[in-house]
Amino acid sequence: MKRHAPAYVAGAIVLGVFQGSMNRIDWLSKTAIDGIFTGHPDSVKRAVLLILLLAVVALVSRVASRWYIFNAGRDVEYELRALLLARLHKLGAAFYRTMSAGEIMSRASGDLLQVRLLAGFGILNMINVVFAFASALQVMAKISPKLTLISLVTFPALILVTRTFSKSLFTRTRENQQALGRLSDVLQTNLSGVRVVRSFALEARELERFREVNRSYLDASLALARLRGSMGPIVGATSSVGVLAFFWYGASMLLKGPANGGLSAGDFFAFWMALGRMSWPIIALGFALAIVQRGRAGYSRLKEVFDAVPEVIDAPTTKLDHVKGSLAVTGLSFSYGDHQVLSDVSFSVNDGHSIAIVGRTGSGKSTLALLLSRLLPTPRGTVAIDGIDVCDLPLAQVRANIGYAQQDAFLFSTTAARNVGYALNDPDSEESMIRVKRAAEEAQILTEIGDLPEQFDTVVGERGVQLSGGQKQRIALARALIREPKILVLDDPMSAVDARTEAAILEAIEKQKKSRTVVLITHRIQAAKRCDRIVVLDEGKVVETGTHAELLALGGIYRAFSDEQSAEQDLQSFDEEEAVVA
Amino acid sequence: MSSVNTTAKKKPSTAETKLKAFHEEETLGKAVDGKLLRRLWPFVRPHSRFIVMSLSVLVLVTAANLVRPILMGDVVKSATSANSGRLFLDGLALSGIVVVVQLLTFVQMYTMQIAGARSMADLREHVFSFLQRLELRYFDRTPVGRLVTRATNDVDAVSELFASGVLNALGDLFSLVGIVVMMLLLDVRLSFFAFCCLPVVGLVVNYVRKRSRAAYRDIRTKTARLNAFLNEQVSGIAVVQAYAREDDASREFDEVNDQYRAANKTAIYYEAVLDAAIEMVSTVCVAGILYWGGLNHVGDHAVSFPLIVTFTQYIRQFFEPVSLLAQRYTVLQAAMSGSERIFQLLDEKEVLADADAATNGDLRDVEEAIALDHVSFAYKPTAPVLKDVSLTVKRGEKIALVGATGAGKTTVASLVLRLYDISEGQVRVFGKDVREYERGALRENFSVVPQDVFLFAGTVLSNIGMTDQTPDRDKAIAALKKIGALEMFMKRPGGIEARVDERGANFSAGEKQLLAFARALYRDAPIVILDEATASIDSDTEAKLQAALQAVMEGRTAIVIAHRLSTIRAVDRVAVFHKGRVAESGTHDDLLAHNGIYARLYRLQFAHEKAKGTPLAPSVRPVEIAPKSA
Repeated sequence: MKRHAPAYVAGAIVLGVFQGSMNRIDWLSKTAIDGIFTGHPDSVKRAVLLILLLAVVALVSRVASRWYIFNAGRDVEYELRALLLARLHKLGAAFYRTMSAGEIMSRASGDLLQVRLLAGFGILNMINVVFAFASALQVMAKISPKLTLISLVTFPALILVTRTFSKSLFTRTRENQQALGRLSDVLQTNLSGVRVVRSFALEARELERFREVNRSYLDASLALARLRGSMGPIVGATSSVGVLAFFWYGASMLLKGPANGGLSAGDFFAFWMALGRMSWPIIALGFALAIVQRGRAGYSRLKEVFDAVPEVIDAPTTKLDHVKGSLAVTGLSFSYGDHQVLSDVSFSVNDGHSIAIVGRTGSGKSTLALLLSRLLPTPRGTVAIDGIDVCDLPLAQVRANIGYAQQDAFLFSTTAARNVGYALNDPDSEESMIRVKRAAEEAQILTEIGDLPEQFDTVVGERGVQLSGGQKQRIALARALIREPKILVLDDPMSAVDARTEAAILEAIEKQKKSRTVVLITHRIQAAKRCDRIVVLDEGKVVETGTHAELLALGGIYRAFSDEQSAEQDLQSFDEEEAVVA
Repeated sequence: MSSVNTTAKKKPSTAETKLKAFHEEETLGKAVDGKLLRRLWPFVRPHSRFIVMSLSVLVLVTAANLVRPILMGDVVKSATSANSGRLFLDGLALSGIVVVVQLLTFVQMYTMQIAGARSMADLREHVFSFLQRLELRYFDRTPVGRLVTRATNDVDAVSELFASGVLNALGDLFSLVGIVVMMLLLDVRLSFFAFCCLPVVGLVVNYVRKRSRAAYRDIRTKTARLNAFLNEQVSGIAVVQAYAREDDASREFDEVNDQYRAANKTAIYYEAVLDAAIEMVSTVCVAGILYWGGLNHVGDHAVSFPLIVTFTQYIRQFFEPVSLLAQRYTVLQAAMSGSERIFQLLDEKEVLADADAATNGDLRDVEEAIALDHVSFAYKPTAPVLKDVSLTVKRGEKIALVGATGAGKTTVASLVLRLYDISEGQVRVFGKDVREYERGALRENFSVVPQDVFLFAGTVLSNIGMTDQTPDRDKAIAALKKIGALEMFMKRPGGIEARVDERGANFSAGEKQLLAFARALYRDAPIVILDEATASIDSDTEAKLQAALQAVMEGRTAIVIAHRLSTIRAVDRVAVFHKGRVAESGTHDDLLAHNGIYARLYRLQFAHEKAKGTPLAPSVRPVEIAPKSA
C-alpha cells in the first residue's frame, strides 16, 4: 500500500478541493438568496455564475478523487492477488497440510476483498469525512454555533448505528454465501454421483436433502434482505431527528430575522445545504470504521500465507550442462512430523535403465516419488542426478528433467489437449498438437479422447466432463511423456485401469525405457518384472533388491506379492487370449 | 479505460475459443424478453400476492415522497409566517413522513424479496428435480460444473430482478412523472428552468450505460474465473510444481487479474462520472432556480423562499433513480440471459419416461429373477454395445459375467436397473418388463456395488444406511460385522460416526469397496449387482473383500461382473461376453467340458499354478476337473 502513497495524497488533495468548492457553493447560495430577498439582483447573477463554475470544479475533483483512491485500492488488490499466487507456488506440502484449499480460497476472495475495501472505500471515506466536516462545519458554525450543535445531536448515534449495521451485514452476507456453498455442494455431489443416486433409487432422499439446503439458503437470503431493508428506516429515523431539530429551531431563528440575532433566508438555505452534505459522510464513516477493522483482520490472515516459509528453497550452486539421467539415492530418511515414512533408503539407477519400487499401500513409495524431484523437502545429500545433489541444482532443472505422473491424477479444467500438453509452452500450435496426439497415443488414451463430445477440445477436470479414474491416469501419463524428461517417475500409473489397458500402458513404458531412465512405482508384479532392477519397500525400509528372477528365487515379500497377484494376472491373459480368439 | 485484449493474438486458436465459451458463457442479449418472462411467470405466480402487496405499497411510498418537498416548504412557510405552533406541527409531520416512507420502503422491498426468493427457490427445486429425470446419456456429455451453475448462479441472476429492485423501476417511473407534474403545478416557468439541464443528464446516463455495460459483464465473469483458477492452482499445486509451470500459470493468472482490474477501473470511472454529473446537474438546477428567482424578484412573479426549498428537494429526488438506471439495466440483461440458459436446460428432450402402465400385480413368485430377451442397445447410434443378447437368471442363482473391457458386461447391469432404455428386445425383472415398473419400485429390488464406489459427505453410518431417512445403527453394525469389517471401521475416530469427506476422499479404495458391500447388505434387496473393482488392492483388504462378497451374495440372486477367478468360482454360472454377445454360458464344469474360450482360460490358469507349485488363495475351491490337452 505504501507504494501507492502518491495516489492517496493526490486523492486527498482533490477531495480537499471538492469539499472546498462545495463550501464555496453554500456561501454563494446564501449570497444569491439574500440577494433575491433583499433586492440586490446583481449579486444574484454573479453568485449563480460562480456556482456554475464551482459545480464544474466539484465534478472534476470528485471524479478525480475516486479515480485516484479507488484505483489505488484496485491496484493493491491486484498486486496482493498476484503475490498470493506467487507465494502459493513456492510453498510445499507442509503448508498445504495445515491449510486446506477452502481456507486458502476464503483468504483469496473474502479477506482480499476486505483489504481492498479498506484500501479504497475505507481510506477515501476516512479522508473525505475530515474535509466534509471541516467544510460543512465552517458554514454551519459561522451561521449559528447553537443551531449547529442542535442539528448534530444525532450524529454520534448515526455513526454507531451504521457501524453496528455494517458489522452484522458482513456476518449475514457470509452466512448467505455459506448457505449457497452448501447448496452447490449438494448439487455437485448429486450430479457427480448420478449413477449411484439412480441405482439405489435415492431421488426422493436427494430431493429432501436439496430442499433442506434450498430452504436454508432462502432463509439466509431473506435474513440478509431484512437486515439490508431495516437500515433505511433506522438510519432515516435517526437522522430525521436531527433534521427535525434543525427545522424546528432553525425556523424559529429565521423568524427572528438577522437583525435580531436570527437567520436570514440565505443563512437558513446555506445551513440546510451544508447539513445535507454531512449526512452521507457520517453514514459512510460508520461503514468505514467497520471496514478498517475487517480490512486489518483480513490483511493479517493474508499475511499468514505471505509469511509461511517455503520448505523447498531454490539455491543452486551448480548447473548441469547436459543431464544424462542417472539417479542415486543414498541414506534417505523422511518423516511427516513424528511419523517416520522412509528410513535409510538407498538405491541407484544408471541412465537409460529402469527401476521398479514395489511395496504395499503405505510403504512410503509415493513419498519417495515426491522426494526425487524435490516436491517435498529432500534432505541434503540424499538424492543425486548424474552424481550431483539435487539440492545444489536449480529447481527448474531438476523438475524439467524428472517427469512425474502422480497416482491420484489431477487434471485442470481445461481442454484435454491442454491437459496433455501442459508442459508445452505453446500448446495451441500445430506442432504441439502433433506431439499431444503422439503422447496420447503412447499413453493409450487417444481413442478414448476421440470418443469425448468435442474430442481434444473437450473441457475435462473437476468442472468439465467427468472422466473415469483410469482415463485421468492415462491423461496424466501422457502429460508426463510429452516432456520427454531424462528421468521418468511414474507413481502407480495403472492403479485404476483394467487389465487390457494395463498391458497397453506397460508397452508404452517399455518404449520409454529405451530413451530414458524410468522409475516405476507400483505394486503390480506384471509391471515391476519388466524393469532392470526391483527395490522392495516395506514400512519405509528397503527389504529386497534384485531382478525379477532373483527376487522370486529369494522367496521373500516379493515372491508373496507375485503369488497373490497370479489369479488376477491370469484373468488378464484370458482377456488378451479372448481378443486373439476373436 | 481501454481494456483492449492484452493477449492480442492474431486469431485465437480453437482451444481458446472453446475455453472462452466454457468459462464465460455469459452473453448479454435483450434486456426484456416477453417469452422468457412468460415462462418465469408460473414460478412467480404462487407468490404473486407479495408482488401485489409490494407494488401497492410502492404507490404509497411514491405518493408520500411527492408530498415530502411540499411539507418542507410548508415548514419554512410557517416559520416565516410567525406561527410557532403551526411550525412545530409541520415539523413533526415532516419527520413523520420521512420515517413512514422508510418503513413503507422496507415493507415494499421485503415483500418483493419474499416473492423473488421464494419463487426462485421453487425454480431451483424444479431444476433439481428435472435433473433427476434427465437421461444418463445427458450427463455423459455435459460438464457437471455447468449444471451446477444453472441452479446456482443463473437462478441467482434472475433473483436479482427482485433483490436489486429492478421492478421498483416502475415506481421510479411513476415518481419521475409525479415530480414533473407537481413542479409544473407549482410554478411552470420555474420548472422550465429546472429542467433545462435534463437533456444533459439523459446524454450522460446514456453515454455511461453504453460504455459501462461491458465492464460490468467483465467483472462478473472475471471474478468467477479468478477464483476458479486460484482454486485449481491450489488443488493441483503438485502438478504445477512438478512441471515447473509456475511462471506460465502466473502469466495466465495475471492476464485475468489484469483484465479484472481494468474492468473495475472502468466501472469506477463511469460510476464516479455518473454520480458526480448528477450531483453537478442538481447544483446547476438549483443555481437556475436562484437565477430565475433573482430575475423575477419584483412584481407578482416573485418567487417565495419556501418554493425554492420545495423545488430544490424535488430536483434531488428526481435524480436519485436516474443514477441507478445503468446498473439496473445490466442486472436486467443478466437476469434474462440467466433465465434463457435455465430454460434451455429445461427444454432438454432426453427426459426419462415413467412406467407406461404400471401394472401393480405382485409377480415375485415367478421363478425367473432377471431376463434379457433379444436385447440390443447402443450408447451412440453408430456403436452398438449389446447385440441380440438373451440371458436368464433364476431366483437365487448367482451368475458371473466375464469378458474384455467394452464387451458389454457393465451395460447389462445398467439395463437391468433401467439406467438406460433399450432400443430392441425386452428386459424383465421378476417376470415384469422394466418399463412397466415405477422407477423407484424397480430399483428397490436391487443392491448395487459399483466399480467406482461413490461416498457422500456425512458419516460411515449415513453412507451405509443411505437408503433410509434415519439410518438404523444396529443394522449398519450388523452389516459391517457380517462382511468382517466392523473392527476395521470402529478403529477410526468416531467409530461408525466417523466423518466421510466429499466423495470419500479420506477413505482408501479398499475401504470404500467394503463400505459399498456393507451398503448392499444393509439394503437387503433380493438381487445383488456387483461390479468388481479392477483397481488392485493390497492383499489384506483383498481377502476381506472376498469374504464380504460371499456374505453379500448369500441367499440372494446375484449378477457379478467378475475380474477375479476366485469370484468366478464362487458363482453358479458364468456368462462369457464377447463383442456385445453372450459367447458362452453355463456352469464352470459345463464350460470346461465345452472346451471353448473359458476352457482355454482355465487351462492357462491351471498350467500356471502347476508350474509355480503354489496353492491358490484359500477362498478358492479345489479344482475338480483335470484339464484336457488342447
